[in-house]
Amino acid sequence: MSQDVVELEGLEPDAVEDEALAQIVDQMWESYFAASEPFLPSFEPLEVTGDVLCASVGITGARPGLVTVTVPRAAGRSLAAVLLSEDGDLDDEDVYDALGEVANIIGGNVKALVPDAGALGLPAIAAAPPLPRTGSRCAARLDAVWQGHPVSFVVWLAGSAATAPATEV
Amino acid sequence: MKALVVDDSRAMRKIIAGALRKLGYETVEAADGAEALAVLQAGPLPDLATVDWNMPVMDGLTFVTQVRANREYRALTIMMVTTEAEHGQIVRALAAGAHEYLIKPFTVDALEEKLGLLGLLPEGAGA
Repeated sequence: MSQDVVELEGLEPDAVEDEALAQIVDQMWESYFAASEPFLPSFEPLEVTGDVLCASVGITGARPGLVTVTVPRAAGRSLAAVLLSEDGDLDDEDVYDALGEVANIIGGNVKALVPDAGALGLPAIAAAPPLPRTGSRCAARLDAVWQGHPVSFVVWLAGSAATAPATEV
Repeated sequence: MKALVVDDSRAMRKIIAGALRKLGYETVEAADGAEALAVLQAGPLPDLATVDWNMPVMDGLTFVTQVRANREYRALTIMMVTTEAEHGQIVRALAAGAHEYLIKPFTVDALEEKLGLLGLLPEGAGA
């Protein structure tokens, strides 16, 4: 073994916060989407409305969680085209697969920051973000614009955390 | 050299297989551990298997365990390529018989570096 876990400098375990999420997304973007248009983080929350696709993965364990990636369907198709390096028409299955893998990559790296985390679920795709568990809080959020489309990454975690709940349901 | 790419995501299989082919590998793909075992049973044995962890039907850790239980496959080098980034998961995979561990997201350079450490870079790769 020469390389251990993804290094997120300055972050302690249980450091699931906006900055950690931004670092994970940045790494993923550099690895797989660098050839595409820049990914422009937004300082304001962006609403993803209309014909929407949401990929989500669940995290089990002491603090169950949910990671969601929400994009307009058109942006989902573009993301899949870049990831698959294909310009032609993509099947819906290809789009769902690619978007699911994006959620999976973020979910796995988020899980590494959650103490006593259990398993990472398989990605699910829906036309809207799933409801997080009761008592969950929005632990981290990253909104951005890519190819003129809003893209939203959200991490929900149950239970207590080092920081005060930002949004609780 | 021949590699078996095991991942339930077609997009990820394409990324990994594409990177390996650029390095000179022939590749074959499987969408889960059970499919991958069938590929091994059909033969010939590849030099390398890249294995995702979380997959339906049969996960990567179960696949690694089953491969290591079969002496016919002892020459197969296994690299986990997964989003499972905790130290404990890495230890589990290595203890089960994986030789290397690459965390997603990864760059092609990182994949090449791992293959170099394993002595599995085809001649002329990266030139």
